Amino acid sequence: MVNATKGLFISCDIPMAQFIINLNASLPALQKFIIHVIDSTHLFVQPHVSEMIRSAISDFRDQNSYEKPN
Amino acid sequence: MPQVRIIAKNFMDMVASLPAMKLDRLYANPFICQAILRSLPPLAKKYVLEMLYIDGPVSAKMLEEWVLADGSSKHRIALDRLIQLRIFTETVDRKKETSYRLNPTFQINLRKHLIDREVLPREPMPSNIVARLPSLEELEAYALGQWECFLLQLINSTQAEKLTNFSSSMMKVFQRGLLSQREKEASRLTESGFQFLLMDTNAQLWYIIREYISNSEERDIDPADLISFLLELSFHITGEAYNMNTLTEIQRHMIKDLADLGLIKLQQGRKESWFIPTKLATNLSVSLTDSSSRKQGFVVVETNFRLYAYSSSKLHCEILRLFSRIEYQLPNLFVGAITKESLYNAFENGITAEQIISFLQQNAHPRVAERIPSVPENVADQIRLWESDLNRVEMTPAHLYDEFPSRDVFEAACDFAREWCGLLWEDSKKMRMVVKAEIHMHMREFLRGQK
Repeated sequence: MVNATKGLFISCDIPMAQFIINLNASLPALQKFIIHVIDSTHLFVQPHVSEMIRSAISDFRDQNSYEKPN
Repeated sequence: MPQVRIIAKNFMDMVASLPAMKLDRLYANPFICQAILRSLPPLAKKYVLEMLYIDGPVSAKMLEEWVLADGSSKHRIALDRLIQLRIFTETVDRKKETSYRLNPTFQINLRKHLIDREVLPREPMPSNIVARLPSLEELEAYALGQWECFLLQLINSTQAEKLTNFSSSMMKVFQRGLLSQREKEASRLTESGFQFLLMDTNAQLWYIIREYISNSEERDIDPADLISFLLELSFHITGEAYNMNTLTEIQRHMIKDLADLGLIKLQQGRKESWFIPTKLATNLSVSLTDSSSRKQGFVVVETNFRLYAYSSSKLHCEILRLFSRIEYQLPNLFVGAITKESLYNAFENGITAEQIISFLQQNAHPRVAERIPSVPENVADQIRLWESDLNRVEMTPAHLYDEFPSRDVFEAACDFAREWCGLLWEDSKKMRMVVKAEIHMHMREFLRGQK
């Protein structure tokens, strides 16, 4: 019997995939969202996490940039 | 969302979309007939002129003989246009033969125009009544100033010095599609709003005039009146004074709005008051066919991401502020820096890297415009790179299928998903596949049928 799982298919570069995997590892067991790590640039995750991932990435980006004060 | 880019050329389409009754009323005005004639494609123009003195209908067959065989596509376009604008009326007789004839009102008015040059309903006022008239340069500066002031108010800038007399509801109508209007949030320029700012003045004017006309019915004004007055206005002479008492009630109401847009300047003497059409008004019907000459550029971009804009226009500053970080500002010079953060702000507002680069290229200062490329390559590339940095992660709602009973079923399912263009990923060893969520229902039915 074929089994279907609903989720989000993520396609990105290797560093971003590692970032997301690390994010997943840092969460408590109940909140882990990665269903399958398909290969080095593709992940399959739970359907509701897209906003969470996006905001985590943009936070990370903000931490890594410096704006000269006026 | 309205497609800003194509609107500029669409004025005649709007005329064509008027109901037949109103169109016939429009053609009662000889100036409109002339303006419409000017806007026609060349072949259509020729047909109109050739049939001007033919009273009866001309059969379609005969019309076709006027063109060579390879011109037949142009012939069709010309005919369609003429029928659309109701200049030609099509009749089919008993033998099923089509024939065309000119709209009689249109025909009579054009003939009249040829024989005794039709005069405007108003003459320029003699110079002894009128006080000092502005020179053409002054008038143009006035028109552009007025237009810029309107634009600044349109994009809700805090920089606008004086406000125009447009009611806030009218302003809202203009802003529709250009600004995002969400509750409890300051309105922001949308993508088409940014494109709007990048258009040349004539194209912008057409966009605003179009909104103004299409909204007129809500204000109990007949759009046909507006169109006819606007077209008539474009036949007035720039810089001449025309008496206000020659206008009808509706026109007098309209003229205040047009003054706010910089189309005309109002002046008052001791007893009389008059209006002076500016270049913006007289260009109205010209801009239907050819666009205005290119404005002189003002931006210099250096390889160190510095941006110098030699302009005293506040509007230009507002545009540059959208994607660059202001360093300092002198009365005639704006200096900014293109930074990652300033660009991220722009990208968040839906402005794309290509739009920014093409804006910088189109407005390059004459000193750098001759250089190729006018925007340094490293800056243009970096802008594109920063944009693609935002899109490093792509997410697609999907379903993962596994535990296929046999390889045949798996391969059939893969083929099925491919046919629907929904296969995102497959692993034939472990027999797993990921398919877009949109076709999950189709997949489910397909897999049921496989059993």
